[in-house]
Amino acid sequence: MPVEVIMPKVDMDMASGKVMSWHIAEGEAVSKGEPLFDIETDKAAMEVEAPADGILHHMAPEGAEIPIGTPCAWLYAEGEEVGEQPKPFAGMGGDTARSSDAKEPAEETRVEPPEAAETETHAAETARTDETGAADGERTRATPAARALAKEEDIDLSSLTGSGPRGRVQAEDVRQAIKARASSPSVMQASAPAVFRPETGSLSVTRSKGGTGTPVVLIHGFASDSVSWAPLEAHIRHRPLIRIDLPAHGKSPKLRIDSFADLVKTVRRAFDDLDLSEAHLVGHSLGGAVCLALADTRSKSLSSLTLIAPAGLGPDINGDALAGICRASRAESLGPWLRSLVANEDIVTDSYTRLAMAARSEPNLRAAQIALADALFPDGVQAFDLRAALERIDTPTRVIWGRKDAIIPWKHALRAPGKMALHLFDDVGHMPQLEAADEVGKIIHSIV
Amino acid sequence: MNAHSKTDIRELSYAEAIREAMDIAMANDERVILMGEDIGVYGGAFGVTGDLIEKYGPDRVMDTPISELGGAGVAVGAALTGLRPIFEFQFSDFATLGMEQIVNQAAKIRYMLGGAVSVPVVMRFPAGSGTGAAAQHSQSLEAWTAHVPGLKVVQPATPEDAKGLLLAALEDPDPVMIYEHKILYKMKGHVPEGHYTTPIGKAAIVREGKDLTIVATAIMVHKALEAAEKLAAEGIDVEVIDLRTVRPMDRETVLASVRKTGRLICVYEGVKTLGVGAEVSAMVAESDAFDFLDAPIVRLGGAECPIPYNPELEKAVVPQVPGIIDAARNLAKGRI
Repeated sequence: MPVEVIMPKVDMDMASGKVMSWHIAEGEAVSKGEPLFDIETDKAAMEVEAPADGILHHMAPEGAEIPIGTPCAWLYAEGEEVGEQPKPFAGMGGDTARSSDAKEPAEETRVEPPEAAETETHAAETARTDETGAADGERTRATPAARALAKEEDIDLSSLTGSGPRGRVQAEDVRQAIKARASSPSVMQASAPAVFRPETGSLSVTRSKGGTGTPVVLIHGFASDSVSWAPLEAHIRHRPLIRIDLPAHGKSPKLRIDSFADLVKTVRRAFDDLDLSEAHLVGHSLGGAVCLALADTRSKSLSSLTLIAPAGLGPDINGDALAGICRASRAESLGPWLRSLVANEDIVTDSYTRLAMAARSEPNLRAAQIALADALFPDGVQAFDLRAALERIDTPTRVIWGRKDAIIPWKHALRAPGKMALHLFDDVGHMPQLEAADEVGKIIHSIV
Repeated sequence: MNAHSKTDIRELSYAEAIREAMDIAMANDERVILMGEDIGVYGGAFGVTGDLIEKYGPDRVMDTPISELGGAGVAVGAALTGLRPIFEFQFSDFATLGMEQIVNQAAKIRYMLGGAVSVPVVMRFPAGSGTGAAAQHSQSLEAWTAHVPGLKVVQPATPEDAKGLLLAALEDPDPVMIYEHKILYKMKGHVPEGHYTTPIGKAAIVREGKDLTIVATAIMVHKALEAAEKLAAEGIDVEVIDLRTVRPMDRETVLASVRKTGRLICVYEGVKTLGVGAEVSAMVAESDAFDFLDAPIVRLGGAECPIPYNPELEKAVVPQVPGIIDAARNLAKGRI
């Protein structure tokens, strides 16, 4: 029996997807996990990988709109007889296209609610303590529409933070939750290349030439690497700069990381190996969360801490973008997601995108990052909470954020206690160190 | 809006449209008679009957004594004998004096006589504020009569519906109360020629929108439309429903709209508490459309006070366009 190549559901609003181009020609062999074809949705171009090993036949023509959950090609085993196309393409011209059997598979491929008890508990805690002031133990405030939708989609209302008055959950909040749920697990899991081959070894550390005084240690964000600090480094070259590549990023080995604690342990080991009596620590996004965790246990050796759009201060994170960046294997599918990182999309030029893709071209790196994202951000939720650490640490700390951050809500910055400095930039997205490199550089220069 | 053929774009005022409806009905059906205080020689306090007495004579256009109870009683009696009387209360406020005939007689007789007779009376109630006529001449008491089973209550908002609803009322076998907003009498609009009816019990979607629903009555329909235009410039897409009939209420049109938009504002000039909007709100809250509500229901109605004489205060106690805009904006943005 040939294996069906199904048009996947990659976002909630999607009823069908357009086959943009096939990577493999009719009659050619493909291995499971290899990029098979590109699809186009409202949001972005995405790649779909081969669901199995096989020889490709009966492909939907390029440009065809195929309903989600229905086949757009078939993979035959070596030597298997290739006869008539098993069934016509649904939704395409022909009389039989709208037959009822075309609908059923769509139902079957519906995204099942993930098991996410841990995440929900975490988010529920947030809901109780956030600025909306919903008291502990209070029934969840939600509109009838939000309740009806949550019931239909099997979403736990108490796990949501309502955007309405007094924290009331509105239909839009539920829609966001559905979207987050639909995108992160399905895309990440479905698209993970067949094998992630974990490696061993210690993290890659690079040092700038020159500079005197207390060194500055820089830890980049998820799906980035140490090279990303270049625009900022121009402002702080008078100090020795030390960059740590996170596991499965840059030149670091693709370690298997099972949890945020695991990640921190790994980075802490690298930090301890530096054997610094004093250091300034600068971290971005996931790297910011790691820096905050380091500050919690290594405060004595830290002169200052700078957190740029750090993770760990709330449950929300843009799961779509994480998944999209992780799974992109070509510049065309990476570009749209990179643009969501910044407020001024002009920064993300084609050559920038190509360079970024070149840095992520190794399939095992992407596989490792997908595994890491699954461990740290299951279902598009930040599964670790560092707000207590933020309260605890005595290291002089500043938090820098762009108010147009589409990856982690800038309002998480407001959770910083009064003793910390807060720098909020208008018209800047998730990458202040890139988009406002001069200002951020000056701020860090003034500390180090 | 109506199921009839429109042959031209002819404009009449709301008052002229009512007069034309009465004229057509009287010409077609000799059972139709007009009764009320000063409606004959004087032509009506608001000039609605005009010179119909010249055309149809004092036997069919009858000035009644200054006794609303007496006049209303004669009209109910005339209806019982087979005539089709149209009785005008000079001001709807004065209908309080005729309540016995409206509530205890007109509304009850058909029930109490086992359906053997009906009371096909039409009563016209010039209503509403905005004329500087103060507390006893400016009220919107449509909810009073709408509370009584056996009565039908309509509130036309346009000249076209003023004519169509009056002609529909004359065809109805039961008492129909028509509340006419006094400020609308001079309002001009397209009115089709000849005989047509606007169905009683059917609301009109006068503006389609997707973000929120405003259910309005009478003059508030126009204020809601003005608000909707301004809100459209802000990207808020408002659906405006002209309720047209208060009893029996058009459940389906309102519920379908709320199912679509998930947000409801009721705008009416009568006192907010226990008013028409209270019924609309409760109807939605009790229905399956409840599941589609994505915000609390908002009512904008008259203040808890008599209508003041001072013109500024008179405006302040009933909903106005800026207040509707504020409420709609807050509702659409999830702030309420």
